[in-house]
Amino acid sequence: MRSRRLLNGYPKMKRLLSSVTDGKGFDILLVSLPLLFLLAFSGLPLLYNVLMSFQEVDIFSLGRLIRPFIGLDNYRELFAAPEFWPIMWNTMLFVVCSIAGQFTLGLALALFFDTGFRGSSFLRGLFLVSWVMPGLVVGAIWNWILSGDFGVLNYLLTSSGLISENIFWRSDVDYSLWAVVLANIWLGTSFNMILLSVGLAGIPKDLYEASELDGANILQRFSTITLPMMRSTIGAVISLGLIFTLQQFDLFAAITSGGPANSSNVAQYWAWELSFRQYDFAKGATVSTLMIITVMIAAVLYVRSTRHEVRI
Amino acid sequence: MKRLHILGGSVTALALLASSAFAEDVTISVWSLDKETQPAYNLAKEFNDLDNGIKVDYRIVQFDDVVTEAMRAFATGQAPDIIAVDNPEHALFAARGAFLDLTDRIAASEAIDAENYFPGPLNSVTWDGNYFGVPKATNTIALYYNTDMFEAAGLDPEDPPETWDELVETARKLNKPEDNIYGIAFSAKANEEGTFQFLPWVQMTGGGYDKINGDGAVRALEIWKSLLDEGLASPDTLTRGQWDSTGTFNSGNAAMVISGPWELNRMVEEADFNWRVALLPVPEEGAQRASAMGDFNWAIFANTEHPDEAFQALEYFASQDERLFPDFGQLPARGDIELPPTGVAPKDAALQVFLEQLKYAKARGPHPEWPKISKAIQDAIQLTLTGQKTAQTALDDAQKRIDAVLN
Repeated sequence: MRSRRLLNGYPKMKRLLSSVTDGKGFDILLVSLPLLFLLAFSGLPLLYNVLMSFQEVDIFSLGRLIRPFIGLDNYRELFAAPEFWPIMWNTMLFVVCSIAGQFTLGLALALFFDTGFRGSSFLRGLFLVSWVMPGLVVGAIWNWILSGDFGVLNYLLTSSGLISENIFWRSDVDYSLWAVVLANIWLGTSFNMILLSVGLAGIPKDLYEASELDGANILQRFSTITLPMMRSTIGAVISLGLIFTLQQFDLFAAITSGGPANSSNVAQYWAWELSFRQYDFAKGATVSTLMIITVMIAAVLYVRSTRHEVRI
Repeated sequence: MKRLHILGGSVTALALLASSAFAEDVTISVWSLDKETQPAYNLAKEFNDLDNGIKVDYRIVQFDDVVTEAMRAFATGQAPDIIAVDNPEHALFAARGAFLDLTDRIAASEAIDAENYFPGPLNSVTWDGNYFGVPKATNTIALYYNTDMFEAAGLDPEDPPETWDELVETARKLNKPEDNIYGIAFSAKANEEGTFQFLPWVQMTGGGYDKINGDGAVRALEIWKSLLDEGLASPDTLTRGQWDSTGTFNSGNAAMVISGPWELNRMVEEADFNWRVALLPVPEEGAQRASAMGDFNWAIFANTEHPDEAFQALEYFASQDERLFPDFGQLPARGDIELPPTGVAPKDAALQVFLEQLKYAKARGPHPEWPKISKAIQDAIQLTLTGQKTAQTALDDAQKRIDAVLN
C-alpha cells in the first residue's frame, strides 16, 4: 500500500519538476518569492499589530507574544477618549483635502506641461524636486514659512494687504491642521503630476483628432476622452495618495506636533504618540488597526473600480 | 611521542594565558545621550583607559529614543550594563525592577555620598525608599531678563519681578508690539517641556502633580492664559519649545524668558544686550519657592552580569563631578561642589542664581506612569490656552485622569 503510493507519486513529482523549467511552475516560483517576502515583512507585522490591539501590553512585556488577552477593551477605551472623534475628523479632513489639492494641482500641471511648449519637460523635471526632499526637511522649511511672528507667508500676506494681523498658522487651533495640509499638498503635487503626465502620454492622439473632426470642443474632449482613458491612472493616483497621506508623519512632527490641543492631530501621529510618548503600545496598535481597516476598504474599492477597465 | 608532549604543554600554556586575559578584561556597556563634547562620552573613555581591567563599550542614544531603546533592549535581554535616563522616567524602570538597587553600594561607597546630592535629583532616583541610580547632572529654570529693555521702560534692573502679579505688570510695561517685542517668552508646548515649565507654578502654591486643580494652579494657568490673550507672549508659545522661545529673547524679540542654564553659552554668544537672571517669581510675597528639575540620572540594569564593575564606573563618573561645569557647562547635582568662576561676568552671576534656584527644584514624580500624568497636564494647559476649556474645568479633568493613574 505504502510503496504503491510512493510509486504513484513519483511521476507527479517529475511533472512538477519539469513544469518549473517550462511552464506554470516557473511562474509560481517567481510569484511565490515576493509573496513570501511580503508575508514575512508585511503580513506578520500586520497580524502582530492586530494581535497587540487585543492584548494588554505592558512596556516590559513588549518582547513577549503571549500577553493577557483583554478582548475589545482597547477599542472601547479608545472610542471613549474625548479626543477620538476630533482626531478621526481631522484625519478625514487631512486625507480628503490633501488628496483633492494634490490631485487638482497635479492634473492641472500635467495638462499644462502636456501642451508641450518649449522647455516644458525641463520645468516638469524641476517640479519633482519637492518630491525628492525628505518629509522632515520639507517640514522644517514649512515650519519657517508658517512661523507666526517672522514667517515668510505672513510677511507676504501682510505686505500684499490680504491680512492685517499675523496668522499663527501653527499655534492657532483654527489654522494648524490647514498648515500641515498646505505643506502636504506642496509635497505631493509633483508626484501626482508625474503619474498623471504618464497617463496623458498614453492616450492615443488620433482619438483627439477624430473627435475634433466630429466637432467636440475642448471641454467635451476632456470629459469624454481624457477622463475615461485616464480612469485607471486616476484610480492609482488617488489610492496611492490615500496611502501616502495616511502615512504622512514627518510633516506633523516637524510643523505642529499634532497641537495645539490636538487640533492638528491625526490617526497616524496619534498612534505614534500613544506608543512612543505614552508607551501605551496596545492603544497605538489599536489606532493602527483601525487605519489598516480603512486602507483595506479603500483598496477594495480601488480594485473594483479598475476591474471593468477599458484597454486599447 | 616527545614532540607531541611538548606540543600539548604549549597548548596548555596558551589556554592558561588566554583564560587569565579573560579574567582581567570585563567589558561593560554604557548608553547615554552625550556626544563628543559632553561629559559621559569623555568620562566613559577615560574610565576605559584607566587600565583597571574594565573596558567600556559606549553607545550614543538619541534623546527621543532613550526609553524605547532601553525597554526593547531590556525586554529582549540585551540591555546595557549602565544607562543614562531622563529623571522623570527613572521610576518607570525602577518600579518594575529593571534597575539595580544601589542603596547598599552607595552606603559603602567612598566616592558617592547620598547626602551631598540636592534633594530633587536624589528624589528622582529614589523608589520605595531605596536608591536605584545616581544623579548625573541637574538643571532648573529661572527668569532671564533684558536689562537694557528694563532701563528703556523705566524699570529698575536691580529689582526684577518677584511675584506673579509683578511679572505680568512688568511684561505689560516691556511689551512693544510695534517693535516686535513681546513682554515675555516661555514654553507651553504639548510635550514634557510644557509640564516642566508649568509644574513649578503649581508647586509654589502647595499643589503638585498629584494635586493639579487647586486654586493656586487654576490661578497660575489663568495668568498664563492672560499672558497670551493680552499679547504679552507670542501665540507660538503653544508650539515652541524652550530652546526656540529663548532664541526670540536672544534676538531681542522678547524682553524676558523663562528657561534654564543650558542657554547660558548660547546667550553669551548671541545676545548683544545686557541680561541677568532672577529667581522664578512666586504667587505672592513670602510664598514658598519651587522650580523644575531637569537632566539625566545614571542607573545600572538589574540583569547586568557585572554589577560591581558597573558601579565602579558610576563611582568614577561621580568622582569627576567637579569638572562638569568648567569642562562641559553642566551643573553637578551636588551641593558640595564649588563652581569656579568662568570669567564671563553675566554667566557667573547667572550661575549663582541658578544654584540658588536649584535648592527649590522638585522632581517630576517619581511615578512609574509619569508620561501619562504629564500628558494630562499638557492637555489641560493646551485646552485652556486655546480657549476650549476654562482653567478650572481643564485642570479638574486633568486631575481625574491623574487620579485614575494614581489609584
